[in-house]
Amino acid sequence: MSGQVRDLAFIGFLVALLGMGLRKPFLFVLAYIYIDIVSPQRLTYLLLNSVPISLIAAGLAVGGWALFDDKRDVRVAPRQFLLLILLVYCGISTLHADFPIAALDKWAWVWKCLAFAMFLPLTLRTRLRIESLLLFMILSAASIIIVGGIKTLASGGGYGELNLMVTDNSGIYEGSTISTVAIAIIPLILWFTRHGTIFRPDWKVKLFGYALAFSCLLIPIGTSTRTGLLCIGLLAVLLLRDAKRRVLYITGLAAAAALAVPLLPSSYTERMSTIQGYQADASASTRIAVWEWTLGYVKQHPFGGGFDAYRGNHIRYDTVEVKQHGDQAVVDKTLQVDAARAYHSAYFEMLGEQGWPGLALWLAINLGGVVRMEIVRRRYHKSTDPGEAWIAPLASGLQMAHLVYLLGGTFIGIAFQPFVYELIGAQIGLDTYLTRRRKETAWRPMPPRTSAPQPALS
Amino acid sequence: MIDNFALGLTHALMMLAAIILMRRRDLDDEAPAARKDERPGA
Repeated sequence: MSGQVRDLAFIGFLVALLGMGLRKPFLFVLAYIYIDIVSPQRLTYLLLNSVPISLIAAGLAVGGWALFDDKRDVRVAPRQFLLLILLVYCGISTLHADFPIAALDKWAWVWKCLAFAMFLPLTLRTRLRIESLLLFMILSAASIIIVGGIKTLASGGGYGELNLMVTDNSGIYEGSTISTVAIAIIPLILWFTRHGTIFRPDWKVKLFGYALAFSCLLIPIGTSTRTGLLCIGLLAVLLLRDAKRRVLYITGLAAAAALAVPLLPSSYTERMSTIQGYQADASASTRIAVWEWTLGYVKQHPFGGGFDAYRGNHIRYDTVEVKQHGDQAVVDKTLQVDAARAYHSAYFEMLGEQGWPGLALWLAINLGGVVRMEIVRRRYHKSTDPGEAWIAPLASGLQMAHLVYLLGGTFIGIAFQPFVYELIGAQIGLDTYLTRRRKETAWRPMPPRTSAPQPALS
Repeated sequence: MIDNFALGLTHALMMLAAIILMRRRDLDDEAPAARKDERPGA
């Protein structure tokens, strides 16, 4: 019964959102983002499963833009061309893949992810659109993160035990992936508590923002993922750069850590302690063995083996454990044999599947984002124009989010995580938007034609 | 219970945001940026 009510609620939400898109076609883009992240069809029992809602939203988003959107002064950034080249390259590698059927399966969703990342910046013509895109990304992810956060507080969670509403923990619902995404969006949530205009940053928005950021921090604990802990560490360092009172920030951080550690569930601290003793741990040792296999593989196949090429691997490795017997330390080696182990790293995923050129393109797209956001940040950091105060912090937040992803990606095969490509789309959109604004400030042929940005309605 | 609370809260906020966006003209069109020499105090 309650399942049917939930089904109807999801349908009502989608119909309302798409209905509003008929008046403001940009809302189709937001509807697609929502469907892509939350996958409401995975959370319902009957009705939505049979309708290709993602395809419908994508069609409406592209159609709405093509037919109704203002396309004067459309700018295309170099990274959109790189995405296109990567798309074509992956298409070709799929044709020659080691495992053609598995490769086609992955290609079926990867091309959509890359194509949408290329398309998205074209629609981001105004500041409000960039903001609303990020708001929908955050709130969509929040529907999973708040569930995880509350359940962690209630039960403590555990590796592979936290119930995030779906039974197969694939895509963004997978523990390490949602941990990385949750930590990555914290700087963007903080941006909304200061510079948002849709929801004006009053005490309610700040309270929600801080509570959500706290919930994000709970996700790596609830899912007991080591990757998430590393991401928290990196974020703590990155936030230091923008902190106004650094001594206070470091003191607060140390105090928070001292308070948090005794409260952590023991299942979590036990698993985290294996970061040091990784040699005794099969999960970590497999990764290293697979990475070595990949390096050997691309010596013979420098252009990669196509999607899912890891299925061809056979690996043997020793787990090494040092045990103390009285005064003596005994080294205990156990041979492990394994086959078709996934890459467990976005970098090796790109290398093994798309070879050196594919890895180079992927790195150019990702590092390009980090560098471009740094350039934007520096350009607007010292701006005294109050109308530009939002820009440098947003560039900084997008950069931090990306760096957290690049660290998380070291240990998870998320080279084509759609959430990240939407983040890249937002970066490119911000970049081209600012270029357009700069051009307008330098030269303007006509008087203002339209309304000035309105203050928030709240 | 927890699932429905989290889903309800986030979906309500997204719906509210969509309604606010419907009323914001600057979603689709912004006034062109002022030239440097036109800005007050520039």
